[in-house]
Amino acid sequence: MAVVADIIGIALVAAGLTLATIALWGLLHMDRISTQLHAAGLISGPSVIAVLLAAPFTGEASIITSAVLVLIFVLISAPLASHAIAHAARRGVERVEPEVGRSDSDR
Amino acid sequence: MPEVPLAIALGWATLLLVAGGLVLLRSQDALTRVLALDVLVSIVVILMVILSYLRSESYYIDVALTLALLAFAATLAAARYLSRGSIF
Repeated sequence: MAVVADIIGIALVAAGLTLATIALWGLLHMDRISTQLHAAGLISGPSVIAVLLAAPFTGEASIITSAVLVLIFVLISAPLASHAIAHAARRGVERVEPEVGRSDSDR
Repeated sequence: MPEVPLAIALGWATLLLVAGGLVLLRSQDALTRVLALDVLVSIVVILMVILSYLRSESYYIDVALTLALLAFAATLAAARYLSRGSIF
Protein backbone atom coordinates (compact mmCIF):
# COMPACT_ATOMS: atom_id res chain seq x y z
CA MET A 1 0.00 0.00 0.00
CA ALA A 2 2.88 2.36 0.81
CA VAL A 3 4.39 1.66 -2.61
CA VAL A 4 1.13 2.65 -4.35
CA ALA A 5 0.99 5.89 -2.33
CA ASP A 6 4.61 6.65 -3.27
CA ILE A 7 3.88 6.07 -6.97
CA ILE A 8 0.78 8.31 -6.91
CA GLY A 9 2.72 11.04 -5.06
CA ILE A 10 5.64 10.96 -7.49
CA ALA A 11 3.20 10.90 -10.46
CA LEU A 12 1.48 14.04 -9.14
CA VAL A 13 4.82 15.85 -8.70
CA ALA A 14 5.87 14.78 -12.22
CA ALA A 15 2.50 15.94 -13.64
CA GLY A 16 2.93 19.35 -12.01
CA LEU A 17 6.47 19.73 -13.34
CA THR A 18 5.40 18.60 -16.83
CA LEU A 19 2.62 21.21 -16.85
CA ALA A 20 5.11 23.87 -15.73
CA THR A 21 7.56 22.86 -18.49
CA ILE A 22 4.84 23.07 -21.18
CA ALA A 23 3.69 26.45 -19.84
CA LEU A 24 7.23 27.86 -19.80
CA TRP A 25 7.74 26.64 -23.38
CA GLY A 26 4.57 28.50 -24.32
CA LEU A 27 5.64 31.59 -22.39
CA LEU A 28 8.93 31.68 -24.31
CA HIS A 29 7.20 31.35 -27.70
CA MET A 30 4.12 33.57 -27.29
CA ASP A 31 4.53 37.27 -27.95
CA ARG A 32 1.21 38.86 -26.85
CA ILE A 33 0.44 39.51 -23.15
CA SER A 34 -3.02 37.88 -23.40
CA THR A 35 -1.61 34.57 -24.67
CA GLN A 36 1.31 34.76 -22.23
CA LEU A 37 -1.21 35.17 -19.39
CA HIS A 38 -2.80 31.86 -20.41
CA ALA A 39 0.57 30.07 -20.21
CA ALA A 40 1.50 31.76 -16.91
CA GLY A 41 -1.87 30.80 -15.43
CA LEU A 42 -1.02 27.15 -16.08
CA ILE A 43 2.06 27.45 -13.85
CA SER A 44 0.62 29.56 -11.02
CA GLY A 45 -2.57 27.44 -10.88
CA PRO A 46 -2.68 23.76 -11.96
CA SER A 47 1.03 22.91 -11.74
CA VAL A 48 1.41 24.26 -8.18
CA ILE A 49 -1.85 22.53 -7.19
CA ALA A 50 -0.70 19.19 -8.67
CA VAL A 51 2.56 19.33 -6.68
CA LEU A 52 0.66 20.29 -3.49
CA LEU A 53 -1.82 17.42 -3.97
CA ALA A 54 1.10 15.01 -3.48
CA ALA A 55 1.36 16.12 0.19
CA PRO A 56 -1.06 13.49 1.64
CA PHE A 57 1.18 10.74 0.23
CA THR A 58 4.08 11.85 2.46
CA GLY A 59 2.04 10.66 5.45
CA GLU A 60 3.10 13.55 7.72
CA ALA A 61 0.37 15.63 9.31
CA SER A 62 2.38 18.87 9.56
CA ILE A 63 3.27 18.78 5.84
CA ILE A 64 -0.36 18.04 4.87
CA THR A 65 -1.67 20.92 7.02
CA SER A 66 0.81 23.44 5.56
CA ALA A 67 0.12 22.18 2.03
CA VAL A 68 -3.65 22.64 2.49
CA LEU A 69 -3.04 26.25 3.62
CA VAL A 70 -0.87 26.95 0.55
CA LEU A 71 -3.48 25.23 -1.67
CA ILE A 72 -6.28 27.47 -0.38
CA PHE A 73 -4.10 30.56 -0.78
CA VAL A 74 -3.08 29.62 -4.35
CA LEU A 75 -6.73 28.94 -5.30
CA ILE A 76 -7.64 32.48 -4.17
CA SER A 77 -4.56 34.45 -5.24
CA ALA A 78 -3.70 32.99 -8.68
CA PRO A 79 -6.91 34.16 -10.45
CA LEU A 80 -6.75 37.54 -8.69
CA ALA A 81 -3.14 38.16 -9.79
CA SER A 82 -3.94 37.09 -13.38
CA HIS A 83 -6.98 39.39 -13.38
CA ALA A 84 -4.90 42.33 -12.11
CA ILE A 85 -2.28 41.85 -14.87
CA ALA A 86 -4.97 41.41 -17.57
CA HIS A 87 -6.78 44.53 -16.32
CA ALA A 88 -3.52 46.54 -16.45
CA ALA A 89 -2.82 45.28 -19.97
CA ARG A 90 -6.35 46.21 -21.10
CA ARG A 91 -6.09 49.69 -19.61
CA GLY A 92 -2.74 50.10 -21.35
CA VAL A 93 -4.33 49.23 -24.72
CA GLU A 94 -7.22 51.62 -24.04
CA ARG A 95 -4.74 54.38 -23.18
CA VAL A 96 -2.82 53.89 -26.43
CA GLU A 97 -5.77 53.45 -28.84
CA PRO A 98 -7.45 56.90 -28.45
CA GLU A 99 -4.10 58.59 -29.15
CA VAL A 100 -3.78 56.58 -32.38
CA GLY A 101 -7.38 57.51 -33.36
CA ARG A 102 -6.77 61.20 -32.58
CA SER A 103 -3.64 61.37 -34.69
CA ASP A 104 -5.48 59.72 -37.61
CA SER A 105 -8.39 62.23 -37.48
CA ASP A 106 -5.99 65.16 -37.20
CA ARG A 107 -4.48 64.26 -40.52
CA MET B 1 8.20 9.24 -0.54
CA PRO B 2 11.36 7.85 -2.20
CA GLU B 3 14.32 10.21 -2.27
CA VAL B 4 15.74 9.62 -5.76
CA PRO B 5 12.65 10.70 -7.80
CA LEU B 6 12.22 13.71 -5.50
CA ALA B 7 15.88 14.70 -6.02
CA ILE B 8 15.33 14.42 -9.80
CA ALA B 9 12.18 16.57 -9.45
CA LEU B 10 14.20 19.13 -7.49
CA GLY B 11 16.77 19.31 -10.32
CA TRP B 12 13.95 19.58 -12.86
CA ALA B 13 12.38 22.48 -10.94
CA THR B 14 15.79 24.21 -10.79
CA LEU B 15 16.05 23.96 -14.59
CA LEU B 16 12.55 25.46 -14.83
CA LEU B 17 13.81 28.33 -12.67
CA VAL B 18 16.60 28.94 -15.20
CA ALA B 19 14.04 28.91 -18.05
CA GLY B 20 11.89 31.37 -16.06
CA GLY B 21 14.92 33.66 -15.75
CA LEU B 22 15.27 33.45 -19.55
CA VAL B 23 11.63 34.55 -19.91
CA LEU B 24 12.36 37.48 -17.58
CA LEU B 25 15.43 38.52 -19.60
CA ARG B 26 13.58 38.25 -22.94
CA SER B 27 10.52 40.24 -21.84
CA GLN B 28 9.97 43.49 -23.74
CA ASP B 29 7.74 45.62 -21.47
CA ALA B 30 7.14 46.09 -17.74
CA LEU B 31 3.89 44.10 -17.64
CA THR B 32 5.56 41.04 -19.18
CA ARG B 33 8.30 41.37 -16.56
CA VAL B 34 5.69 41.39 -13.80
CA LEU B 35 4.17 38.24 -15.33
CA ALA B 36 7.60 36.58 -15.56
CA LEU B 37 8.35 37.39 -11.90
CA ASP B 38 4.96 35.93 -10.91
CA VAL B 39 5.87 32.75 -12.79
CA LEU B 40 9.31 32.65 -11.13
CA VAL B 41 7.71 32.86 -7.68
CA SER B 42 5.35 30.00 -8.56
CA ILE B 43 8.36 27.87 -9.57
CA VAL B 44 10.14 28.72 -6.30
CA VAL B 45 6.96 27.67 -4.42
CA ILE B 46 7.05 24.33 -6.29
CA LEU B 47 10.77 24.01 -5.42
CA MET B 48 10.10 24.65 -1.72
CA VAL B 49 7.25 22.12 -1.61
CA ILE B 50 9.40 19.42 -3.24
CA LEU B 51 12.24 20.26 -0.80
CA SER B 52 9.75 19.84 2.05
CA TYR B 53 8.75 16.37 0.76
CA LEU B 54 12.42 15.40 0.36
CA ARG B 55 13.54 16.44 3.85
CA SER B 56 10.22 15.64 5.58
CA GLU B 57 10.12 19.10 7.16
CA SER B 58 6.98 21.24 7.03
CA TYR B 59 8.57 24.65 7.53
CA TYR B 60 9.74 24.80 3.89
CA ILE B 61 6.05 24.96 2.89
CA ASP B 62 5.54 27.79 5.40
CA VAL B 63 8.37 29.64 3.63
CA ALA B 64 6.59 28.98 0.32
CA LEU B 65 3.33 30.36 1.76
CA THR B 66 5.06 33.54 2.94
CA LEU B 67 6.77 33.99 -0.42
CA ALA B 68 3.47 33.47 -2.28
CA LEU B 69 1.77 36.04 -0.03
CA LEU B 70 4.50 38.67 -0.62
CA ALA B 71 4.55 37.98 -4.38
CA PHE B 72 0.75 38.30 -4.58
CA ALA B 73 0.87 41.72 -2.90
CA ALA B 74 3.77 42.78 -5.13
CA THR B 75 1.98 41.66 -8.31
CA LEU B 76 -1.20 43.51 -7.36
CA ALA B 77 0.78 46.67 -6.50
CA ALA B 78 2.84 46.55 -9.72
CA ALA B 79 -0.20 45.92 -11.94
CA ARG B 80 -2.10 48.74 -10.27
CA TYR B 81 0.87 51.08 -10.64
CA LEU B 82 1.26 50.23 -14.33
CA SER B 83 -2.44 50.73 -15.06
CA ARG B 84 -3.20 53.84 -12.95
CA GLY B 85 0.20 55.44 -12.34
CA SER B 86 -0.15 55.08 -8.55
CA ILE B 87 -0.75 52.22 -6.13
CA PHE B 88 -3.46 53.83 -3.96
